[in-house]
Amino acid sequence: MFTITQSSRRVLVADDDPVMRKLVTTAIQRAGLVVVTASDGREAYRILQSDAGFKAAVFDMMMPHLKGLDVIRYMRTEKRLMRIPIMIISAEQDIKLMANSFAAGATAFLPKPFTPEQIRNTLHMLVGNVKPTRQAA
Amino acid sequence: MENSETNVTPLLSAEAVDMSVLKAFEEMHSDEESDLIVELIDLYLEDAPIRLKEIRDAVAENDASLLKRATHSLKGSSSSIGVLQVAEICKKLEQMDCQESPRQVEAIAQLLDYKFAKASEELEAERQRRLS
Repeated sequence: MFTITQSSRRVLVADDDPVMRKLVTTAIQRAGLVVVTASDGREAYRILQSDAGFKAAVFDMMMPHLKGLDVIRYMRTEKRLMRIPIMIISAEQDIKLMANSFAAGATAFLPKPFTPEQIRNTLHMLVGNVKPTRQAA
Repeated sequence: MENSETNVTPLLSAEAVDMSVLKAFEEMHSDEESDLIVELIDLYLEDAPIRLKEIRDAVAENDASLLKRATHSLKGSSSSIGVLQVAEICKKLEQMDCQESPRQVEAIAQLLDYKFAKASEELEAERQRRLS
């Protein structure tokens, strides 16, 4: 057993769609992790410029200003960010997009629509087992 | 003859919302939280009209880029919470060229508005049922 610090429980979620952001955020919180949200790729990029304390990141493929793959490419060129596992979520199930995501450096790919079980399994693949912690209100 | 791009007849008979898709997310809900399903409905009913306006603007201005972006976005959230007819129409619109076939695009965009209105009624009814 080991103690997981607060910073290693943080997951960065970037999605311009509030419905998807809520779904992803809820799934991550249910896994016992802490979510930091960004409403588009540019905001995610700005957060990552000054903060590398994330256990994982989840990006939507198509976001305004800066797409998910562009943020991944940035992260893979930065030494302090390059080890953070990244999940890409996409409304397309196109095999080429999936290949492009992995080529850019994504760790996991989740097509929409997804079931609770699918996002849970993909999160598990991304971050492994994280015991939920009960926090005082 | 039917055109594969405009063949939306199957969409006319089914329910606008597949509630089983939406309700599947109930398992992610915990007792301390407010009703996740109600929150998802509220977020969708707040955001989707913005996308629909973008789609109407894109059709009026023959803006293919905006049409693709707005339909893509609405398709993702709609399919995720079971608003399947809206998602299906968005998918068709996303693949169409508003400069090549503006009348077809306009007709399907109108159908999208109609189906969204129907979906909104069903979602609102589900919301009320949960809050009562």
